[in-house]
Amino acid sequence: MTRSALALVASLAAVGAQAQQPPAPPDFAPSNLTPAGVRALAATCASCHGTQGRPAPGSTLPGLAGKPRDEIATSMTRFREGKKPATVMHQLAKGYTAEEISALADHFSRLPR
Amino acid sequence: MNNQRRQFIRAGAAGLALAGIAGCAGIGGVASKGRVVVVGGGFGGATAAKYIRLLDPSIEVVLVEPNDVFVSCPISNLVLGGFKTIADVTTPYTGLEKNHGIRIVRDRATAVDPGKREVRLAGGGALAFDRVIVSPGIDFIPGAIPGLAAPGAADRVLHAWKAGPQTVQLRRQLEQMRDGGVYVLSVPEAPYRCPPGPYERACQVAAYFKAAKPRSKVLVLDANGDVTSKGPLFKKAWSELYKGIVEYRPNSKAVDVDARAGVVKLELEDVKGDVINVVPPMKAGAIADPFITANRRWCEVDWLTYESKAAPRVHILGDALQIAPAMPKSGHMANAQAKACAAAVVALMGGEAPNPAPTLTNTCYSFVSKDLVVHVASVHKYDRRDRTMKAVPGAGGVSSAMNEVEADYALNWAANIWSDTLA
Repeated sequence: MTRSALALVASLAAVGAQAQQPPAPPDFAPSNLTPAGVRALAATCASCHGTQGRPAPGSTLPGLAGKPRDEIATSMTRFREGKKPATVMHQLAKGYTAEEISALADHFSRLPR
Repeated sequence: MNNQRRQFIRAGAAGLALAGIAGCAGIGGVASKGRVVVVGGGFGGATAAKYIRLLDPSIEVVLVEPNDVFVSCPISNLVLGGFKTIADVTTPYTGLEKNHGIRIVRDRATAVDPGKREVRLAGGGALAFDRVIVSPGIDFIPGAIPGLAAPGAADRVLHAWKAGPQTVQLRRQLEQMRDGGVYVLSVPEAPYRCPPGPYERACQVAAYFKAAKPRSKVLVLDANGDVTSKGPLFKKAWSELYKGIVEYRPNSKAVDVDARAGVVKLELEDVKGDVINVVPPMKAGAIADPFITANRRWCEVDWLTYESKAAPRVHILGDALQIAPAMPKSGHMANAQAKACAAAVVALMGGEAPNPAPTLTNTCYSFVSKDLVVHVASVHKYDRRDRTMKAVPGAGGVSSAMNEVEADYALNWAANIWSDTLA
């Protein structure tokens, strides 16, 4: 076998090994639970639940502003654990950590309805 | 717009430009922290303008937008189905002025100049900025479908991929088509604005045909190897609701059109139709051309600040961006990016560090009929190692089946995101 053929075999083996290696898990930045960080996190809810948790008039999607802290936290936790049936919230809630859910519940419960 | 109003706006714009040259512009005697000019009032730009003012009212925000109303792409496919009117998906910009003190300059930006720190306007004059947010949406790659440049061709072969007059014109073409005719929809290679949009459109047109012109056909010519979003759900809708109406052909890339003959030219064959709807390949909106860094089509940014990799103090949002992995070009995503960008701009203008851990969400609803809907959703967080946004593993997903409950949610989602963007 020539040197170049050997090199080819070696590089093919390397590609093979690379293909079998699972991708590295994501290196997500730790949650930012400063007031500004929680405000930014809460803004992600606004697209469906309204700016600062106050939906458009007549919305059948619930508002979040002024809801009891425990109600929000329990709902989100049960969505996250798949214990509360939903169309989409069981999928979205899994994108938030337990600490983030707790901070969001605090945040929205303190906003005026 | 009457002349007086136009002159008033012109004078206002000139006044703003002068104030900007003087440095920190002030409104109503309140010292301003500086001025942000936002170019483009879509889901990205309008949301960014609003959220900057919510977070820091001492920052002056000027929004440059040529249209006098916002027309939503989401829900606009229902206009083609005949279930909504264009008025139903139209919202005025007045809320941004009245509720948030944003100055709207009804003009088209012709250049964003990071050196001079000014945005130049088609109507003459310029707006000075401390930072600029460019949210231009998409434009079509010039010359990609050469036949569209023939005289009258672009009026006959519509894209209707920017909701507005073309949406209404396409609906009219469908209404005027004979029963037994063929509607041909050409889908460009990904990435393009709104991944599920073409397949929702096929469903909406099929719903109209099924009710009004049952011998007619919908032919989807997809440049991609398969349906790019919610594939199994759309295919189920086609086979269960629109059997014999929708035909789907993958790997069918349009390379040209003959508008006069009503022909879409693929690489190996010509396909004739009665209504031809070609969605050409896309790039970042033309105003962002100087900031395009990826594949000569899209703009790359720092995902913590949305600052362009090509120019300082220029922030870019929405469909114009080179996407992160698994990130759709959608109105919801642009709205989410805009809030992260607004927070970063406010932090930077206040001399603070931007949020090191931004989160974005996306939910896209598609109407497969008048009252059956499917969704795709995802959550995206910042990856420190790769300095990009990544979908959170295990989060997100699609509907288990098409259903009526989500039709109600979809319309309420629309009302709420329009309000979050504009009210």
